[in-house]
Amino acid sequence: MNYMVVRLGVSAILTFGLYSILYRENKFYRLCEHIFLGLASGWALVALWTDTLKSAWWDKMVGSTTDSGQMLTRGYWLYALLLPIGLMGYMVFSRKHNWMSRIPIGIIIGLYSGQQFQAWQNRYIPQISDTIRPVVPTVWSLRPETTGLTPDQVATIHSNVYISDALTNLIFVFTVISVLAYFLFSFETKSKVISGLSLCGRWLLMIGFGAIFGSTVMMRFTLLIDRMSFVFQDFLMHSLVPTLTHR
Amino acid sequence: MSDTVAPKSFGDKLQSLPRTWLFLILLLAASVPLFVPIALPNAPSQSSEDFFANVMSLKAGDKVLVASDWTKSTRGESGGECEALLRMLIRKKIKIAMYSSGDPQAPQVFRDTIGEIAKDELDHGEAPYQQFQDYVVCGYFPNAEGTALGINNNLRGVFAGKKDSPPNGSPQDIFNSPVFQGVNSVSDFKYLIMITASNTERVTFERVKKTPLMFMVTGVMTPEDNVYYLSGQLKGLIGGVKGVFDLEQMMEKGLNVPGGVSAPRFGPVPGFPGKHNVGRGTSYYFALHACLALLILAIFAGNLGVWLSRRGARS
Amino acid sequence: MLHLLLDLDPPTFFNGDNGSPALILKIVLAFLVGIGLIFALMAAPLRLRRFIVVAVTFLSGLYYFLLWFFPAPISRGPTDAPNGPLESFSFLIADAVPSVVNVSNILSAVLIGLGIYSLLRIHLGRIVKQQKDWAFSLVLVVSLFTVAFFGYWDWIIRQGPTGGSLGAVPNDKWSFPLYAKDFFFEGFLQQMDSAMFSLIAFYILSAAYRAFRARSVEATILLLSALIVILASMGLIQSNWDNTIDATHIGFLKNIRLEDMRTWLNGTMQAASIRGLDFGVGVGLLAMALRLWLSLEPLGRES
Repeated sequence: MNYMVVRLGVSAILTFGLYSILYRENKFYRLCEHIFLGLASGWALVALWTDTLKSAWWDKMVGSTTDSGQMLTRGYWLYALLLPIGLMGYMVFSRKHNWMSRIPIGIIIGLYSGQQFQAWQNRYIPQISDTIRPVVPTVWSLRPETTGLTPDQVATIHSNVYISDALTNLIFVFTVISVLAYFLFSFETKSKVISGLSLCGRWLLMIGFGAIFGSTVMMRFTLLIDRMSFVFQDFLMHSLVPTLTHR
Repeated sequence: MSDTVAPKSFGDKLQSLPRTWLFLILLLAASVPLFVPIALPNAPSQSSEDFFANVMSLKAGDKVLVASDWTKSTRGESGGECEALLRMLIRKKIKIAMYSSGDPQAPQVFRDTIGEIAKDELDHGEAPYQQFQDYVVCGYFPNAEGTALGINNNLRGVFAGKKDSPPNGSPQDIFNSPVFQGVNSVSDFKYLIMITASNTERVTFERVKKTPLMFMVTGVMTPEDNVYYLSGQLKGLIGGVKGVFDLEQMMEKGLNVPGGVSAPRFGPVPGFPGKHNVGRGTSYYFALHACLALLILAIFAGNLGVWLSRRGARS
Repeated sequence: MLHLLLDLDPPTFFNGDNGSPALILKIVLAFLVGIGLIFALMAAPLRLRRFIVVAVTFLSGLYYFLLWFFPAPISRGPTDAPNGPLESFSFLIADAVPSVVNVSNILSAVLIGLGIYSLLRIHLGRIVKQQKDWAFSLVLVVSLFTVAFFGYWDWIIRQGPTGGSLGAVPNDKWSFPLYAKDFFFEGFLQQMDSAMFSLIAFYILSAAYRAFRARSVEATILLLSALIVILASMGLIQSNWDNTIDATHIGFLKNIRLEDMRTWLNGTMQAASIRGLDFGVGVGLLAMALRLWLSLEPLGRES
């Protein structure tokens, strides 16, 4: 038997090992679960050095050379300070000095929060401007059919606001405002307009959640289908059966 | 009080189907249709059409930055997206620089995937697509926020010191690769295409502004990312297995060509007819139908059960 | 900091020729100073501790705040020199980006290691004390070190003079360590990762069957919205339904085509409601960022 058949076979067995939890909690599942956790952590240990720290920290600290031994970059010794700072994070297990773990975490959190103002601007300003939509038609007729037209003609049609577009835009803007009202006025309010808007917002929010639910189930089912495809097609049909029949 | 237990009504029975049976039926629904090759009709979404048209507008030698943040946990969707994208880029001879800030496993998964696809394309008559010459893997960056901002402000500074192996050689500085020739800023890449199953997509579009962005995301992320596509922050979006199916269909049939997908917004965009275009999207779509039908039936049965039980109780 | 990442900078106090005794000595000294810093901090009084954490957090955040807020030259060439102290400061902030990114990546990587250390600590403790199910802990530890061992072995081989020719898929040039790494990474880890995530499909079906009831207005709207998304994604149903609707004479009928309904619902109501939700989240996000930066959240405070 060749290597690929064995590898795929082991993967198929492990898949069913994990699926055995669907029947009930059992030792085989727990075995697979622990192997999985161990491997995931072990690989992180490899990748953190090979894909990150080696080039981002070690090579920068000690410098690097070309294949022929010539100097490519000089070493910057200040990088050596980062290791003790990072290691302060491990003080979290010390009862007396666990406050020190907040220093490296504070650096990461500080850098994250400092970026948020720019990130917020980049994320929300285009959305705010896209939400400000024309609700008065420029052409008082229904949108014409675009099938069979050239891209330029289609673009001309899209540049106008027809009655149906204006109505759609109105619904869009109303939905955003009412959902926002639901969030911002979640406390009790005496204004009937705001409480009515807030109620509408709650209902309209459900339309968004419905879309998320529909997409979520599709994703989850696809992952299952992929697994079944792996077991029955990749392993059974394309690997095991040809190997056995070939013999 | 009576000791006898009232027999279950039909409504109650409908609400209490054994879980094991449900699981078994789902297992069958996800497996059996895989062996039934059916060509299913499909109407690609606008965001998929944009994605396809933009990738197809690239010219040989153009460069794209690919952020690959997926692992095999979402192979059904992200794997299909990555494979379809790589086939298109390889056939169009586009150069790829890849990095990841989503998962330590992601660079290795990308190396394996591009290795397999490049070999498959070579077997199907395409030109060799080689590591270092045509694509480089720039590694894993654990701090997604800082990395995305750094890529926007000083790409070469962030990727400095990274190495990758040329064919038949030891690892070399990635800036010696043809992929990085003439690349001084992220704006020298035609697109940043992100394949992700985590929130790194949000981190990226919040920070990277100097090059157009296109995303390939999982189904669960599609409704939220669609909002950013609609506001023009994304130039194309492939969402879940439906997006993969859209892409594979357009790769086979093209856009606005005879027998192809009709999209009046674009001129004719030919695909790759007759090539190996069938991937996970096409293969899984029928099985997805079966699973979704089962879900609808299950929800309907549950609701019908409640309604019948209530009606029984009232009468 | 300014030239920290540039190749072959002119020699300064902060760099050294690689392999030179001076550089090695400076590295060792810097490391020892860092260790000394840890010991010095251990002796820090209670009040100073809070100040240190708050100051570190604030200064870290201040950098990116200034990068965004401080006026930057509109177009700056690679050889341009700063004109005055303000522009010098602006250049400094911009040039420090790769170094700051690098520092954040290095610290994040070291902190990810904290998770692995914690996992090992728990399971090694269980093995040593032979607590309940210690055998599973042993399996975890063995798996961890096995993949790490073969992962590094594979990597070292690939760093060699013929590393680039080995390829990503199994081939004749592969030796035992490459097969072993592939076996554990591809055969075990990746496939189990995939299987673990696919399990959720079963529970989502079961939960939808038992709990997804049209009992209220909200639940009914959610159900209908999801149903339209699902049906419109089922090409077979969508195509058959849409083909039965002839809108040649009555254009309005187009509106009950599943594809048109989905597109309209998606672009108008679903996107709008998610955008409203996102705006709500955005307000919270900004407030939270400000609280974190100024250490007003408990995380940044001394307990």
